[in-house]
Amino acid sequence: MGKFMKSGKVVLVLGGRFAGRKAIIVKNYDDGTQDKPYGHALVAGIDRYPRKVTRSMGKKKLKQRSKVKSFVKVLNFNHLMPTRYSVDINFEKTVVNKDIFRDPALKSKARREVKAKFEERYKTGKNKWFFQKLRF
Amino acid sequence: MVAEKKAKKTADNINARLALVMKSGKYVLGYRQTLKTPRAGKAKLVIIANNTPPLRKSEIEYYAMLAKTGVHHYTDNNIELGTACGKYFRCCTLSITDPGDSDIIRSMPQEQQPAA
Repeated sequence: MGKFMKSGKVVLVLGGRFAGRKAIIVKNYDDGTQDKPYGHALVAGIDRYPRKVTRSMGKKKLKQRSKVKSFVKVLNFNHLMPTRYSVDINFEKTVVNKDIFRDPALKSKARREVKAKFEERYKTGKNKWFFQKLRF
Repeated sequence: MVAEKKAKKTADNINARLALVMKSGKYVLGYRQTLKTPRAGKAKLVIIANNTPPLRKSEIEYYAMLAKTGVHHYTDNNIELGTACGKYFRCCTLSITDPGDSDIIRSMPQEQQPAA
């Protein structure tokens, strides 16, 4: 009918260190690849959600509490729960792609790029659901 | 009374149609595979037995909603659904990827509408 595991879709990570976190599919590999013969996706997600802010907080405190820690990971579709939400953020394909996992420097660069994009989007106030912690 | 009779008739209908799909079409049985088929966009109809745990039921319905696939709530439990498929095991969920000669896809959603 309709394939819904596409880039831009918000998914919940179901297992591993980032279980319960929300992530965005950056690139999906529906039929798998040589070394991963199953459907999987490269996702970029939030490791540490931004804290709650109120109007009475000062600028410096606001900045501290709006920080986002991000992660990038390649995950099997079985370990993701898709949602009906989608967030369209364009990550730089050169920075965030599958090869970064071999080199830790590249990986942290990708994480920084994701973090910057997430914080930018959080400040605009759009996609509020994505930046809220999933309570369970 | 009339509603009961209609329910019985549709139950027989779906059994007959399922048998036809088993013979001529493609299907997958089981929870894990039925989660895979809407993800791949291949599911045409998803059938859920009535005694599946509600969490699992709603998860499958959500996947089907995302994939815009019809869901049919089978009126019997997983033992009966397995038997309807001609298998000797229980089956809680099944997904039809290719109906073959059967008209299960065309007729089932219509019956779903009044219920929904």
